[in-house]
Amino acid sequence: MTRVRTVDEVFAAIQQVKAAAPAFCTNFFPVQKKLQDWITHGELRSESRNGAAFFFREDRDLQHFYFCGGSVAALESGIGSLTALKTERVVADLVGSEAALKDLRGCLEKAGFRRYSQLQRMARAAHSSQPPVSGVDAPVVFAEASDKRAISELLESSFDHYADQLPTPYEIEAAIEAKQIFAVKCDGELAAILFFETQGFTSTVRYWVVAERFQSKRFGASLIRHYFATQSAVKRFILWVVATNENAVKKYQHYGYAADGLIDHVLANEMIQA
Amino acid sequence: MKAIADILKEIRPEFDFTTSNDFMADGMLDSFDMVTLVSTLDKTYGISIEGTQIVPENFQNLQTIEALVRKYGVQL
Repeated sequence: MTRVRTVDEVFAAIQQVKAAAPAFCTNFFPVQKKLQDWITHGELRSESRNGAAFFFREDRDLQHFYFCGGSVAALESGIGSLTALKTERVVADLVGSEAALKDLRGCLEKAGFRRYSQLQRMARAAHSSQPPVSGVDAPVVFAEASDKRAISELLESSFDHYADQLPTPYEIEAAIEAKQIFAVKCDGELAAILFFETQGFTSTVRYWVVAERFQSKRFGASLIRHYFATQSAVKRFILWVVATNENAVKKYQHYGYAADGLIDHVLANEMIQA
Repeated sequence: MKAIADILKEIRPEFDFTTSNDFMADGMLDSFDMVTLVSTLDKTYGISIEGTQIVPENFQNLQTIEALVRKYGVQL
Protein backbone atom coordinates (compact mmCIF):
# COMPACT_ATOMS: atom_id res chain seq x y z
CA MET A 1 0.00 0.00 0.00
CA THR A 2 1.49 3.36 -0.99
CA ARG A 3 0.61 6.92 -0.04
CA VAL A 4 -1.06 8.80 -2.90
CA ARG A 5 0.90 11.93 -3.87
CA THR A 6 -1.09 13.42 -6.75
CA VAL A 7 -4.67 13.51 -8.01
CA ASP A 8 -3.42 12.21 -11.36
CA GLU A 9 -2.20 9.00 -9.68
CA VAL A 10 -5.76 8.34 -8.52
CA PHE A 11 -7.33 8.94 -11.92
CA ALA A 12 -4.62 6.88 -13.64
CA ALA A 13 -5.29 3.92 -11.33
CA ILE A 14 -9.06 4.18 -11.94
CA GLN A 15 -8.56 4.54 -15.69
CA GLN A 16 -6.33 1.47 -15.77
CA VAL A 17 -9.10 -0.60 -14.16
CA LYS A 18 -11.76 0.89 -16.43
CA ALA A 19 -9.74 0.22 -19.59
CA ALA A 20 -9.95 -3.52 -19.04
CA ALA A 21 -13.36 -3.54 -17.41
CA PRO A 22 -16.03 -5.98 -18.53
CA ALA A 23 -18.35 -4.72 -15.74
CA PHE A 24 -16.78 -1.80 -13.92
CA CYS A 25 -17.94 -1.44 -10.33
CA THR A 26 -17.01 1.18 -7.75
CA ASN A 27 -17.98 3.02 -4.60
CA PHE A 28 -15.48 5.79 -5.36
CA PHE A 29 -16.87 9.04 -6.80
CA PRO A 30 -14.09 11.49 -5.96
CA VAL A 31 -14.70 15.21 -6.26
CA GLN A 32 -11.42 16.84 -7.32
CA LYS A 33 -11.34 19.39 -4.49
CA LYS A 34 -11.92 16.80 -1.74
CA LEU A 35 -9.44 14.42 -3.33
CA GLN A 36 -6.80 17.14 -3.37
CA ASP A 37 -7.48 17.93 0.31
CA TRP A 38 -7.08 14.26 1.30
CA ILE A 39 -3.79 14.03 -0.63
CA THR A 40 -2.45 17.32 0.74
CA HIS A 41 -3.12 16.08 4.28
CA GLY A 42 -1.51 12.69 3.58
CA GLU A 43 -4.73 10.78 4.25
CA LEU A 44 -4.99 8.67 1.09
CA ARG A 45 -3.23 5.36 0.35
CA SER A 46 -3.76 3.05 -2.60
CA GLU A 47 -3.05 -0.42 -3.85
CA SER A 48 -3.80 -2.02 -7.23
CA ARG A 49 -4.07 -5.76 -7.75
CA ASN A 50 -5.88 -8.37 -9.86
CA GLY A 51 -7.80 -5.88 -12.02
CA ALA A 52 -8.92 -3.73 -9.12
CA ALA A 53 -7.75 -0.53 -7.42
CA PHE A 54 -8.26 0.08 -3.71
CA PHE A 55 -8.05 3.32 -1.74
CA PHE A 56 -7.94 3.85 2.01
CA ARG A 57 -8.58 7.25 3.56
CA GLU A 58 -7.36 7.76 7.11
CA ASP A 59 -9.88 9.47 9.38
CA ARG A 60 -9.51 9.52 13.19
CA ASP A 61 -9.24 5.86 14.30
CA LEU A 62 -10.63 4.37 11.08
CA GLN A 63 -10.02 3.96 7.37
CA HIS A 64 -12.67 4.72 4.73
CA PHE A 65 -12.44 2.05 2.04
CA TYR A 66 -13.03 2.76 -1.66
CA PHE A 67 -12.68 0.33 -4.55
CA CYS A 68 -12.78 0.21 -8.35
CA GLY A 69 -13.08 -3.24 -9.89
CA GLY A 70 -13.14 -4.38 -13.48
CA SER A 71 -15.89 -6.76 -12.34
CA VAL A 72 -17.25 -8.13 -9.07
CA ALA A 73 -15.05 -11.21 -9.61
CA ALA A 74 -11.93 -9.04 -10.00
CA LEU A 75 -12.90 -7.13 -6.89
CA GLU A 76 -13.40 -10.34 -4.93
CA SER A 77 -10.06 -11.67 -6.08
CA GLY A 78 -8.19 -8.51 -5.05
CA ILE A 79 -10.00 -7.69 -1.83
CA GLY A 80 -9.19 -11.00 -0.15
CA SER A 81 -5.50 -10.22 0.06
CA LEU A 82 -5.76 -6.72 1.58
CA THR A 83 -4.13 -7.00 4.98
CA ALA A 84 -5.51 -3.65 6.17
CA LEU A 85 -8.99 -5.20 6.27
CA LYS A 86 -7.78 -7.59 8.96
CA THR A 87 -5.66 -5.20 11.00
CA GLU A 88 -7.41 -1.82 10.92
CA ARG A 89 -10.87 -0.40 11.58
CA VAL A 90 -12.42 -0.02 8.13
CA VAL A 91 -15.74 1.38 6.90
CA ALA A 92 -17.14 1.16 3.36
CA ASP A 93 -20.15 2.98 1.92
CA LEU A 94 -22.26 1.46 -0.86
CA VAL A 95 -24.80 3.84 -2.36
CA GLY A 96 -27.76 2.64 -4.41
CA SER A 97 -30.79 0.42 -4.10
CA GLU A 98 -30.73 -2.87 -2.17
CA ALA A 99 -31.22 -4.90 -5.35
CA ALA A 100 -28.53 -3.12 -7.37
CA LEU A 101 -25.93 -3.59 -4.64
CA LYS A 102 -26.62 -7.23 -3.81
CA ASP A 103 -23.48 -8.63 -5.52
CA LEU A 104 -21.16 -5.92 -4.21
CA ARG A 105 -22.44 -6.33 -0.69
CA GLY A 106 -21.98 -10.08 -0.93
CA CYS A 107 -18.40 -9.53 -2.06
CA LEU A 108 -17.63 -7.18 0.84
CA GLU A 109 -19.32 -9.49 3.34
CA LYS A 110 -17.09 -12.35 2.18
CA ALA A 111 -14.13 -10.07 2.97
CA GLY A 112 -15.36 -9.64 6.55
CA PHE A 113 -17.63 -6.58 6.32
CA ARG A 114 -21.08 -6.51 7.91
CA ARG A 115 -23.95 -4.06 7.95
CA TYR A 116 -23.23 -1.25 10.41
CA SER A 117 -25.75 1.49 9.58
CA GLN A 118 -28.00 2.66 6.80
CA LEU A 119 -28.49 6.25 5.69
CA GLN A 120 -31.25 7.48 3.43
CA ARG A 121 -31.20 10.58 1.28
CA MET A 122 -34.06 13.05 1.69
CA ALA A 123 -34.85 15.89 -0.67
CA ARG A 124 -36.99 18.99 -0.52
CA ALA A 125 -38.06 21.27 -3.35
CA ALA A 126 -37.42 24.97 -2.82
CA HIS A 127 -41.10 25.84 -3.11
CA SER A 128 -42.16 23.38 -0.37
CA SER A 129 -44.31 24.99 2.26
CA GLN A 130 -42.89 25.48 5.73
CA PRO A 131 -44.65 24.68 9.00
CA PRO A 132 -46.17 27.69 10.78
CA VAL A 133 -43.87 29.64 13.09
CA SER A 134 -44.71 29.13 16.76
CA GLY A 135 -42.60 31.74 18.51
CA VAL A 136 -39.78 34.18 18.01
CA ASP A 137 -36.67 32.91 16.23
CA ALA A 138 -33.33 33.07 18.06
CA PRO A 139 -30.65 35.20 16.41
CA VAL A 140 -28.57 33.19 13.95
CA VAL A 141 -24.97 34.13 13.08
CA PHE A 142 -22.17 32.66 10.99
CA ALA A 143 -19.77 30.53 13.02
CA GLU A 144 -16.36 32.14 13.54
CA ALA A 145 -12.82 30.79 13.64
CA SER A 146 -12.92 30.87 17.45
CA ASP A 147 -15.89 28.41 17.37
CA LYS A 148 -13.85 25.66 15.69
CA ARG A 149 -13.13 23.61 18.81
CA ALA A 150 -16.71 23.91 20.13
CA ILE A 151 -18.12 22.86 16.74
CA SER A 152 -15.82 19.86 16.65
CA GLU A 153 -16.79 18.81 20.19
CA LEU A 154 -20.50 19.23 19.46
CA LEU A 155 -20.26 17.07 16.33
CA GLU A 156 -18.11 14.39 17.97
CA SER A 157 -20.50 14.08 20.91
CA SER A 158 -23.67 14.07 18.81
CA PHE A 159 -22.82 11.78 15.90
CA ASP A 160 -21.26 8.38 15.23
CA HIS A 161 -17.98 8.97 13.43
CA TYR A 162 -18.04 5.49 11.89
CA ALA A 163 -21.31 6.16 10.05
CA ASP A 164 -21.66 9.92 9.73
CA GLN A 165 -18.44 10.98 7.95
CA LEU A 166 -17.66 13.75 10.41
CA PRO A 167 -15.56 16.64 9.13
CA THR A 168 -11.85 16.93 9.88
CA PRO A 169 -10.57 20.05 11.68
CA TYR A 170 -9.39 21.50 8.36
CA GLU A 171 -12.84 20.91 6.82
CA ILE A 172 -14.47 22.75 9.73
CA GLU A 173 -11.99 25.58 9.28
CA ALA A 174 -12.72 25.80 5.53
CA ALA A 175 -16.49 25.68 6.14
CA ILE A 176 -16.27 28.54 8.67
CA GLU A 177 -14.26 30.57 6.19
CA ALA A 178 -16.73 29.79 3.38
CA LYS A 179 -19.64 30.81 5.66
CA GLN A 180 -21.18 27.35 5.57
CA ILE A 181 -21.91 27.04 9.26
CA PHE A 182 -24.78 28.89 10.90
CA ALA A 183 -24.77 29.06 14.68
CA VAL A 184 -26.94 30.04 17.60
CA LYS A 185 -25.05 31.19 20.65
CA CYS A 186 -26.31 31.55 24.20
CA ASP A 187 -24.32 33.82 26.53
CA GLY A 188 -21.34 33.48 24.20
CA GLU A 189 -21.53 29.68 24.21
CA LEU A 190 -22.17 27.64 21.07
CA ALA A 191 -25.67 26.18 21.48
CA ALA A 192 -26.56 24.89 18.01
CA ILE A 193 -25.20 24.71 14.47
CA LEU A 194 -26.36 24.01 10.94
CA PHE A 195 -23.45 22.97 8.70
CA PHE A 196 -24.30 23.02 4.99
CA GLU A 197 -22.79 22.99 1.49
CA THR A 198 -24.39 24.82 -1.42
CA GLN A 199 -23.31 23.93 -4.94
CA GLY A 200 -25.20 25.88 -7.60
CA PHE A 201 -28.91 25.11 -7.32
CA THR A 202 -28.49 22.32 -4.75
CA SER A 203 -27.81 22.67 -1.06
CA THR A 204 -26.95 19.86 1.36
CA VAL A 205 -27.42 19.97 5.12
CA ARG A 206 -24.44 18.05 6.47
CA TYR A 207 -25.13 18.43 10.19
CA TRP A 208 -27.89 20.11 12.13
CA VAL A 209 -27.52 19.78 15.86
CA VAL A 210 -28.50 21.46 19.11
CA ALA A 211 -26.35 20.83 22.20
CA GLU A 212 -28.28 18.74 24.71
CA ARG A 213 -28.64 21.39 27.41
CA PHE A 214 -29.96 23.93 24.90
CA GLN A 215 -32.69 21.73 23.46
CA SER A 216 -36.41 22.71 23.49
CA LYS A 217 -35.54 26.38 23.01
CA ARG A 218 -36.42 26.48 19.28
CA PHE A 219 -32.75 26.94 18.32
CA GLY A 220 -32.95 24.13 15.77
CA ALA A 221 -36.06 25.63 14.18
CA SER A 222 -34.44 29.06 14.10
CA LEU A 223 -31.42 27.64 12.29
CA ILE A 224 -33.28 25.77 9.60
CA ARG A 225 -35.69 28.62 8.93
CA HIS A 226 -32.76 30.98 8.57
CA TYR A 227 -31.01 28.47 6.29
CA PHE A 228 -34.01 28.15 3.94
CA ALA A 229 -34.51 31.92 3.92
CA THR A 230 -30.90 32.64 2.95
CA GLN A 231 -30.52 30.05 0.17
CA SER A 232 -32.73 31.94 -2.27
CA ALA A 233 -31.06 30.59 -5.44
CA VAL A 234 -31.36 26.96 -4.34
CA LYS A 235 -33.98 24.78 -6.02
CA ARG A 236 -33.24 21.48 -4.32
CA PHE A 237 -32.34 20.83 -0.70
CA ILE A 238 -30.92 17.43 0.24
CA LEU A 239 -29.46 15.63 3.26
CA TRP A 240 -28.53 12.16 4.49
CA VAL A 241 -30.07 10.80 7.68
CA VAL A 242 -29.76 7.49 9.57
CA ALA A 243 -32.76 5.57 8.25
CA THR A 244 -33.66 4.12 11.66
CA ASN A 245 -33.53 7.48 13.45
CA GLU A 246 -37.29 8.04 13.41
CA ASN A 247 -37.17 11.31 15.33
CA ALA A 248 -34.74 12.85 12.87
CA VAL A 249 -36.64 11.55 9.85
CA LYS A 250 -39.91 12.98 11.25
CA LYS A 251 -38.24 16.31 11.91
CA TYR A 252 -37.01 16.54 8.34
CA GLN A 253 -40.44 15.53 7.02
CA HIS A 254 -41.91 18.32 9.13
CA TYR A 255 -39.75 20.75 7.14
CA GLY A 256 -40.78 19.34 3.76
CA TYR A 257 -38.08 16.74 3.10
CA ALA A 258 -39.04 13.31 1.73
CA ALA A 259 -36.98 10.18 1.06
CA ASP A 260 -35.84 10.16 -2.58
CA GLY A 261 -35.01 6.44 -2.74
CA LEU A 262 -31.22 6.64 -2.51
CA ILE A 263 -29.71 4.52 0.27
CA ASP A 264 -26.17 4.50 1.69
CA HIS A 265 -25.34 1.08 3.16
CA VAL A 266 -22.57 1.63 5.69
CA LEU A 267 -20.53 -1.54 6.18
CA ALA A 268 -17.86 -2.04 8.83
CA ASN A 269 -15.22 -4.72 9.26
CA GLU A 270 -14.82 -6.93 12.31
CA MET A 271 -12.44 -4.51 14.02
CA ILE A 272 -15.39 -2.15 14.65
CA GLN A 273 -17.89 -3.14 17.31
CA ALA A 274 -21.56 -3.06 16.26
CA MET B 1 -36.88 9.69 -30.24
CA LYS B 2 -37.09 11.02 -26.70
CA ALA B 3 -34.90 14.08 -26.12
CA ILE B 4 -32.13 14.06 -23.50
CA ALA B 5 -33.61 17.19 -21.90
CA ASP B 6 -36.90 15.34 -21.30
CA ILE B 7 -35.08 12.41 -19.66
CA LEU B 8 -33.19 14.78 -17.38
CA LYS B 9 -36.42 16.59 -16.53
CA GLU B 10 -37.91 13.28 -15.38
CA ILE B 11 -34.92 12.63 -13.09
CA ARG B 12 -34.71 16.19 -11.72
CA PRO B 13 -37.96 18.02 -12.50
CA GLU B 14 -36.98 21.08 -10.47
CA PHE B 15 -34.22 22.13 -12.90
CA ASP B 16 -34.19 23.64 -16.38
CA PHE B 17 -31.33 21.75 -18.01
CA THR B 18 -31.48 23.82 -21.21
CA THR B 19 -30.04 26.86 -19.41
CA SER B 20 -26.88 25.29 -17.95
CA ASN B 21 -23.51 24.55 -19.54
CA ASP B 22 -22.17 22.66 -16.53
CA PHE B 23 -24.68 20.49 -14.68
CA MET B 24 -22.20 19.45 -11.97
CA ALA B 25 -20.95 22.96 -11.17
CA ASP B 26 -24.54 24.23 -11.11
CA GLY B 27 -25.53 21.49 -8.64
CA MET B 28 -28.09 20.00 -11.03
CA LEU B 29 -26.52 16.53 -11.20
CA ASP B 30 -24.24 14.68 -8.80
CA SER B 31 -22.32 11.44 -9.20
CA PHE B 32 -25.27 9.42 -7.89
CA ASP B 33 -27.63 11.04 -10.41
CA MET B 34 -25.10 10.19 -13.12
CA VAL B 35 -25.49 6.48 -12.35
CA THR B 36 -29.30 6.81 -12.50
CA LEU B 37 -29.05 8.74 -15.76
CA VAL B 38 -26.81 6.11 -17.37
CA SER B 39 -29.29 3.39 -16.49
CA THR B 40 -32.18 5.48 -17.92
CA LEU B 41 -30.25 6.26 -21.12
CA ASP B 42 -29.45 2.54 -21.54
CA LYS B 43 -33.13 1.59 -21.19
CA THR B 44 -34.52 4.45 -23.28
CA TYR B 45 -32.18 4.05 -26.25
CA GLY B 46 -31.45 0.32 -25.97
CA ILE B 47 -27.72 0.88 -25.54
CA SER B 48 -25.12 -0.12 -22.97
CA ILE B 49 -22.85 2.75 -21.92
CA GLU B 50 -19.47 1.38 -20.87
CA GLY B 51 -17.99 2.07 -17.44
CA THR B 52 -15.10 3.94 -19.04
CA GLN B 53 -17.56 6.49 -20.42
CA ILE B 54 -19.12 7.26 -17.04
CA VAL B 55 -17.01 10.33 -16.31
CA PRO B 56 -18.18 13.87 -15.45
CA GLU B 57 -16.95 15.30 -18.79
CA ASN B 58 -19.54 13.21 -20.64
CA PHE B 59 -22.37 14.51 -18.46
CA GLN B 60 -21.43 18.17 -18.32
CA ASN B 61 -24.31 19.50 -20.43
CA LEU B 62 -26.91 18.51 -23.03
CA GLN B 63 -24.38 18.59 -25.89
CA THR B 64 -21.88 16.27 -24.19
CA ILE B 65 -24.60 13.76 -23.23
CA GLU B 66 -25.98 13.86 -26.79
CA ALA B 67 -22.47 13.27 -28.15
CA LEU B 68 -22.09 10.31 -25.80
CA VAL B 69 -25.29 8.52 -26.88
CA ARG B 70 -24.51 9.25 -30.56
CA LYS B 71 -21.31 7.22 -30.11
CA TYR B 72 -23.61 4.24 -29.60
CA GLY B 73 -25.45 4.87 -32.86
CA VAL B 74 -28.43 6.73 -31.40
CA GLN B 75 -29.88 9.34 -33.77
CA LEU B 76 -31.41 12.23 -31.89
